Amino acid sequence: MNSSRSLGLMLLTPAIVLVVLFFLVPVALTAVFSFTNMSTATGITGGAYQIGPSSLQRLGDKYGFPELAERLSQPSYVIDERGLVALDAAGVDASTITEMRTHLGEVFPTRREAERMIKGLSARPSTREVKQISEQFNRSLLDTRYESEGDLLAGLDALGVEVTPAERDAVAASSYSGWTWTTDNFRRMVSTPDTLRTLINTVFYVAIVLVLFNTGYAMFLAITTYYMPETTGGIFRSIWLLPRITPPVIYVLMWKWLAWDTGFISMFLGQFGVAPKNWMLDSSTNAWVFVILINGFVGASMGMPVFSSALRAIPKSQFYASEVDGASRWQQIRYIILPQMRWPILFVTCYQTLSLLASFDLILLSTEGGPGGATEVWSLMTYHTALNNYAGNLEYGYGTALSLVLVVIGVTLSLIYLRVFNYNALVAKPLIEQ
Amino acid sequence: MRILLDKFSKSFGTTKVIEDLTLEVADGEMLALLGPSGCGKSTTLFAICGIHKVTGGRILFGDRDVTDLPSQARSVGVVFQSYALYPHMTVAENIAFPLQVKKVAPDQIKREVDAIAALVHIENLLGRRPAELSGGQQQRVALARALVRKPDVLLLDEPLANLDAKLRLEMRSEIRRIQLETGITAILVTHDQVEAMSMCDRIAIMNAGEIVQLATPTEMYHNPRTAFVAGFLGNPPIAFLRGTARDGGFALDNSDIRLPLPVGTLSPADGSKLTLGIRPEDFGPLGDIAIPGKVSFVETQGRENLYDVRLADGSVLRSIQPVRGDIAVGNEVAWSASGAKVMVFGENGARI
Repeated sequence: MNSSRSLGLMLLTPAIVLVVLFFLVPVALTAVFSFTNMSTATGITGGAYQIGPSSLQRLGDKYGFPELAERLSQPSYVIDERGLVALDAAGVDASTITEMRTHLGEVFPTRREAERMIKGLSARPSTREVKQISEQFNRSLLDTRYESEGDLLAGLDALGVEVTPAERDAVAASSYSGWTWTTDNFRRMVSTPDTLRTLINTVFYVAIVLVLFNTGYAMFLAITTYYMPETTGGIFRSIWLLPRITPPVIYVLMWKWLAWDTGFISMFLGQFGVAPKNWMLDSSTNAWVFVILINGFVGASMGMPVFSSALRAIPKSQFYASEVDGASRWQQIRYIILPQMRWPILFVTCYQTLSLLASFDLILLSTEGGPGGATEVWSLMTYHTALNNYAGNLEYGYGTALSLVLVVIGVTLSLIYLRVFNYNALVAKPLIEQ
Repeated sequence: MRILLDKFSKSFGTTKVIEDLTLEVADGEMLALLGPSGCGKSTTLFAICGIHKVTGGRILFGDRDVTDLPSQARSVGVVFQSYALYPHMTVAENIAFPLQVKKVAPDQIKREVDAIAALVHIENLLGRRPAELSGGQQQRVALARALVRKPDVLLLDEPLANLDAKLRLEMRSEIRRIQLETGITAILVTHDQVEAMSMCDRIAIMNAGEIVQLATPTEMYHNPRTAFVAGFLGNPPIAFLRGTARDGGFALDNSDIRLPLPVGTLSPADGSKLTLGIRPEDFGPLGDIAIPGKVSFVETQGRENLYDVRLADGSVLRSIQPVRGDIAVGNEVAWSASGAKVMVFGENGARI
């Protein structure tokens, strides 16, 4: 008994490893990353502390310390050893340097105060020389890179900037250039108007393609080819499989040729005096028509064979019986075929909802979500946010947060579907007794 | 309503299944199309109900030519071998289907369904689905569905083939009762001679796409036109002896047994090949043509025993007799055939 159980575990191990590696870990990582603000700017490793215009902006706006930000943006003048060495190198005479040394450690909050001190030196430097000397002691926090928070705070101290503990934390947080843990992604998602628009686009896209093509048109094809002679029906079914067999890039390229301003539609309509234009990207309505057709024709080629084989599984005698019972062809479809296609329809619906939600390749290749985001769906938005966009700042954290929404929807739907299909009833009991 | 097949032909591609078959079924009659598998009986049935298009000839219901009408317009009720009930509908919906597609008013549908359900005794099953019914119950539902719109013709395609032996016996008389009560013209396709004989007014026995003989069951049993017909009817089946005509008698092949030909047989030419057909009930202790042999097998059937008697040439005669304890396998017996009942067939199988 025991050995058979351990043998079972051994046989299952590869499957478990694969499931963990390729299903569970990605989902877990998606969840983890969605709580970060990783982007091209932050990198995916740690970061450094650097006060700059944007960090000061954040310090003022987000952390509520505008005066501190203003103060940090001003240069300070610190008489230190480094400055004295620089004076020497700049050829300032030694007596002046010696005299400056007596002021070692003094901090002047403004240029004017520092220069007043320099002007008072016994050498009486000219205005030009004063400027030259003061420049060597200009010590600003701006654009200095600190490897750790401690270095940054030491730098602040050295400048004599006096800050409260709250202000210190705010400065450190606002100047950190690496990624941090955050829930902002979800807040942003809820507050951005684009999100709602993309959501509506997604629901529209999935619903229309699913109803019109993946089930409706596939069913139409299955039924019409069923009533055709065997060979003719077979030929038609093969033709409808072509979009699925064709590489997506070529398939979409052919659609583009059709729609380009020098393409087939333009040329054909040109015969009737219609000005050529890009029919695909001309308006959002046109873009949707193309997106739905492009996805629909591929999608129908999945439902069609499923429905065809389900149709064939209905005993011929039922068709004979309904004919002699007086049913017309339409009544045959309505009362005999469709009621018995409930499960295949449900299966295709479930399966295709999930794959339509996740797939964006054909939209990316054809309209790229355009014109102006009119055909941007959720998965494409995720791709654009995290992996490829025009601005160049790839927001991995926000992108994974977006895709986490898809993961949650997908898992929820799958669980519902498993329930609907009564999955347990479909799984046969093992033939080998425990 | 009378059914007339007038020189009806049917071929699939280049395969001719039936050629120039003519058959008339009288109004209210129940006729069996009996024959072995592949003889064309189901093809004929499917042509009558319009599922198969005919290749030649005409089909008439009454005086109406239905040859080119689709099934929907023919007014036929069909009971299929598999019953072909619609699995997603209840019994009531199944029966109502032919009326529903004709857009009959719902309350009238309900009345008709109730009436026909009462006729076939399934009033208590109307709410069930076909999967919840036994074979016999499904059979009754199929009958009810075929009859509910009062078709001109009822066609039954091997209706009892899927039932167990006891149900078959029950449904045999049930179908006949319902046919007689409704007075509908019916055609039964079967390969089971017992069904054909017990249920039908007349039998058309078919072989290789042709009707070999058309007669009442009794006539066909006692007066078969060919050896094929004689061999097809009767259970246990008739036994054949092969031999040659010699001096107005019959010489059994490969033996020295000589038998007189039955009285009234036209004397065949000397030396011509003959086949004698002897039914089991016509061979026993009481006959007048003695045929010696050895009992090779005893089959107990309860009320009767069936004895196989091996003759000197190796051929076997069967005898069915009331149970008797004095005969065992290996006993030599000298039983006789009733001369008047022995059938003589010529070389081509035709009765002489």
